[in-house]
Amino acid sequence: MQLWWFVPFWKTLHVLGIALLMGVVLAVDLRIFGVAKGLPGRPLQRLMPWAAGGFAVSLVSGAVLVRANPQQYFGAPLNLVFYAKILCLVLIGLNDVLYFATGLKRDVDGVVAGQAASASAKIVASVSLALWFSAIYLGITLPFFGVTP
Amino acid sequence: MMSVWSWLESSAFSNWLKESPSLLAYPMVLFLHGVGLVCSAGPSAVISLRLLGVGRQLPVAPLDRYFPFIWIGFWISAASGFVMVAVDAATKLANPLFGVKMAFVAASVVLMVLVRRRVRAAGAGAREASAGRWLALASLVCWAGAIAAGRFMAFL
Repeated sequence: MQLWWFVPFWKTLHVLGIALLMGVVLAVDLRIFGVAKGLPGRPLQRLMPWAAGGFAVSLVSGAVLVRANPQQYFGAPLNLVFYAKILCLVLIGLNDVLYFATGLKRDVDGVVAGQAASASAKIVASVSLALWFSAIYLGITLPFFGVTP
Repeated sequence: MMSVWSWLESSAFSNWLKESPSLLAYPMVLFLHGVGLVCSAGPSAVISLRLLGVGRQLPVAPLDRYFPFIWIGFWISAASGFVMVAVDAATKLANPLFGVKMAFVAASVVLMVLVRRRVRAAGAGAREASAGRWLALASLVCWAGAIAAGRFMAFL
């Protein structure tokens, strides 16, 4: 038997983790797009561990929620939506690997105040935002996909 | 006042929003609420962390440019939140956590204005005075409180 606060407690942590993570993601990606150009790249990207921390909180709380009520995530047709969300997260991981492995992250580290980021960095930032908001969309609307008229 | 809410709640729009199986109905409003939340509370949290001393090498004054974006996020959340209250006014307004959430949101808005003042006034590389650190901490706590109250509301 689950206590009444079990689900909202873990959902709160899930959202708090996402807010922290998205705060850093938005700050970095918007800077790459040219917002807040007065910020140099390196110290801004030093905030990335906070995004990783937020992600860890979301991952753990998400896992607790799925384990506690698997039928809410794995019953058809919800499972497709759930897997689509996980796929988004995997693609985000690959996008990040690309960002680090190709040296783009180091290029953005070298961007000084007032300087524009490269077009390649802008593409990676766009992909990052598109995937993150897709994952959020799938997470929020997941319970509605099972609704039949 | 109550009759305005009940009129809103019983309107054709409310019925459509609640009854329609379309993903463009209630799920879209909920999604917009979430998008607004991450766009406002997220960058707000980053700015608060900076004022609390995280990432000292990061200049504070240019963070001011994130605020228009934070406000857009806030208004997306406010508008979608208003719609969700309007279509379910009797239940939502009677929820004891609704007032708690609104109090946290109101405090967050006031703190957003005060924090922005500190950000604008910040000199290059200057260490934030303790007043700014308290504002930043209060901002983090109020956003978290608003999020927690919102999540728990659905379970009361």
